[in-house]
Amino acid sequence: MVSFHPDSKFLTDFAAGSLPLSEAVCVAAHLEFCGKCRAHVQQLSDLAAQMMVRLEPVVDDNDGFESLMQRIESSDAAPVVQPSSIAGKSAVSATGIPRVVEKLAGGSLQNLNWVKLGNSLRIAPVDIGCKSRQTAIYDIKAGRPMPEHEHRGEEITVLLKGSFSDAEGKYVKGDFVVRYAGERHQPTATLDTDCICLVSLEQPVKARSWWYRLMEPFVQYRLSGFSR
Amino acid sequence: MSTHNSPANVDKLTGIHVEINDEMESVATQFNRSAVPDAWAESVRLVADKRDRAAFQVLYKHFSPLIRAFLLKSMGSGANRAEAEEITQEVLIKVWNKASTFNPAKASVNTWIFTIARNTRIDFIRRNDRNNREIDIEDIWHDAESPEPLVDMQQRRAEQVIKQAMATLPEEQVQVLYKAFMEGKSHNEVAEELSLPLGTVKSRIRLALSKMQILIDR
Repeated sequence: MVSFHPDSKFLTDFAAGSLPLSEAVCVAAHLEFCGKCRAHVQQLSDLAAQMMVRLEPVVDDNDGFESLMQRIESSDAAPVVQPSSIAGKSAVSATGIPRVVEKLAGGSLQNLNWVKLGNSLRIAPVDIGCKSRQTAIYDIKAGRPMPEHEHRGEEITVLLKGSFSDAEGKYVKGDFVVRYAGERHQPTATLDTDCICLVSLEQPVKARSWWYRLMEPFVQYRLSGFSR
Repeated sequence: MSTHNSPANVDKLTGIHVEINDEMESVATQFNRSAVPDAWAESVRLVADKRDRAAFQVLYKHFSPLIRAFLLKSMGSGANRAEAEEITQEVLIKVWNKASTFNPAKASVNTWIFTIARNTRIDFIRRNDRNNREIDIEDIWHDAESPEPLVDMQQRRAEQVIKQAMATLPEEQVQVLYKAFMEGKSHNEVAEELSLPLGTVKSRIRLALSKMQILIDR
């Protein structure tokens, strides 16, 4: 049962279309698990639509309908979108990973460039062309802890598979967890299964243990420069 | 209506998801689509089924000045009139091409067209960004089915509540809503522009939302 949700700021900015891409991907992934937040986004879109239809209409002097129809007819070979392409499909795919994440990973998480960090953690950067934040998939081995770390910036974690816990509580599939700058924590994957998370980081996480610090320049290099 | 596979718990008449539980059922019966007609849904259906030009022209006449108005406000100061015009045309072409995906049980035509305009606008802004990687915006702002049916049921009623409550909002709440939704500014950008703390912007928006029965926990 999902119990951690994006707050009204995330949902509003998402519905209004102003949420930066890295965060938007996290919200979209959560929405695939959460009917309640989907309903909120729908309500917020209704609100936006009501505002749009109340705007002072801006009428174009020359009616462009005929030229628009010419454009449509000249490209009528273009495929018409059929409802079957989206409707009726459940959002989460057979693998249990949200479609938005699989799409960005090029079809499957296996296609990503994984970087092993010690025995318990591997990370794959996901390039979505977002300058202000890094986006990555974390895969933590069952029962293993991640290095304890402190945040220099906001970190969003969406649990895609498995579960993890830290001093604050236990998190399960679909949970949307935000950690702010200065907070320090050490997540541990639960025993039964590996834990896969989507992570959006405002700034690089500062690791406390010596080995992670040693690795950090390497990780940052790989995370930011991998796909170029 | 559409040809997609309906799950078993969809009400035949309304197309609205029904939870099998007495309380829910009574809400669903009160809440009949005919009680809240959507004037534009028939036009969209004609465009979808018959490629009906006259029906499309009706939609064009009503919506293109509104889409244009929205885009001129939300595309940022960098966008000129010609660009807004081009994006308006793109939105209308999508309305024509995607008409068959419109699901009246899920959203009104107003909301459906707003989301198309919003996504096209996001796409336009990204096209101008040099960091741009090939990403289909519709993969992120998509509308695949939810595995949880309960919520769809409340949609149409929510829209009525929103309409009524909007008229009663104080100016300072209207202002932040307008900047967020019509100018496409994030909470942070609104806070900066109005020289308000982020928390104030957030609480003004939340107050307005709660008057419209959009009750988000945090």
